[in-house]
Amino acid sequence: MRNDSVNWVSRVLAVTEKDIVSEFRTRYAINAILMFALVTLTVISFAVGAFSPTKEVMAALFWIILFFAAMSGLAQVFIKEEESGTALALKLASDGTVIFFGKLLFNLALLFALTVIVVPLFIILLKTEPANWLFFLYAILLGNIGLAGATTIIAAIVSKATIKGALFTVLSFPVLMPLLIAVIEITKSAFLGGVFKDIAAPMQLLVAYDVVMIILSYLLFDFVWRQ
Amino acid sequence: MIWKLLIFLAMSFVVVMAFITPSPMNPANTLGPVDVYRIFYFHVPQSWVATLAFLMSMFLSIRFLQTKNMAFDIKAVTANRLGLMFAILATVTGSIFAKMTWGEFWNWSEIREVSIFILLIIYGAYFALRSALPDPDQRATLSAVLSIIFAVSAVFLIFILPRIYPSFSQHPTDSVVDKSGKLTMGGTVSLIFFTSLAVFTALFVWIYDLSVRLQNIYEKRLLEDK
Repeated sequence: MRNDSVNWVSRVLAVTEKDIVSEFRTRYAINAILMFALVTLTVISFAVGAFSPTKEVMAALFWIILFFAAMSGLAQVFIKEEESGTALALKLASDGTVIFFGKLLFNLALLFALTVIVVPLFIILLKTEPANWLFFLYAILLGNIGLAGATTIIAAIVSKATIKGALFTVLSFPVLMPLLIAVIEITKSAFLGGVFKDIAAPMQLLVAYDVVMIILSYLLFDFVWRQ
Repeated sequence: MIWKLLIFLAMSFVVVMAFITPSPMNPANTLGPVDVYRIFYFHVPQSWVATLAFLMSMFLSIRFLQTKNMAFDIKAVTANRLGLMFAILATVTGSIFAKMTWGEFWNWSEIREVSIFILLIIYGAYFALRSALPDPDQRATLSAVLSIIFAVSAVFLIFILPRIYPSFSQHPTDSVVDKSGKLTMGGTVSLIFFTSLAVFTALFVWIYDLSVRLQNIYEKRLLEDK
């Protein structure tokens, strides 16, 4: 039994590793995401440069940048398999759950790479800083897990459609709406410097959201993948 | 035939009675003109039917994934289409009411307006996906999966929104039945209201039945042409 689970983890990691290697060859997703984030960040810092927005507005702006940047690249993980015709080989090589968690980990890695670059730039360009770094870290950690967890299966759905790019954002928005509301609430507290009592409710909801979305995607993934 | 006649008579009764009987609200505890509250006879049943259609399409989507029977897909898409229609009606009537009582057609702090907006977006996204999938089997499966994900997300919104905007809700919350199970509305008002609720539900079932049958004929034609 133990051997089986070790085997399962290593198979998941193999899928992630394969994606990372192929990503480093083309650098398509990471370039798209980073350039999109940079462009949005620049537009926003020019737009708000003339006046100083409140911390609440800053928290919302931060997640707008992350949300749209993520939307520009997260769907690639399945689209590239369909476009290069490697989806069939992948289907033969491993079962659905392994593929799902492998792709989920890859998207998560992509999001963390994005945050590592965007956060310092955001702080420098918009001349603001979270008052409570721990809350900010919670928001980023749980927010990224939720973003990747909820959109990986949508990426799989969209990869079969005829119009992919625009559809991904349209389908993801209603699913991500609860996540965005909760995560902006926590980020607001992080910028304003609140106490833990302020963020307890959104934190609970966020943890529940992440867990439920990942389990739900895991249960439904086979239907999408076997199409 | 008898059903059509009954729906026609009951609907006429509701439409006439809604305008000739006294307004359901007591002038002492209203925010705006008392006559505005007559919209309640139409707005609440429309919202109820939109919710019913949403729940039905979720159930039918799950049944489709269990059985892979295309009949469930036809039913699910019909429920969604009607749900969208009634959700638009409920949004428009609610918006008119909001303008007359609070002076704005739209207010983002009102929880129910946010949630109906999300419902409209969900329906829109569902049909956007369907139109982008040419293969019928694929279209049926993927849109069924999507509606289940949307349903779970909608449940989260229902729990999250009230916590983020705790008390800012102007929507009349007087429930039809109070805690002890007694009707809080007067006799005439509840007669019109419950007739309206029943007739809107019957109207929905009737349109639903017709469109499912129509869609089945259409699918059969498509198969024969092939």
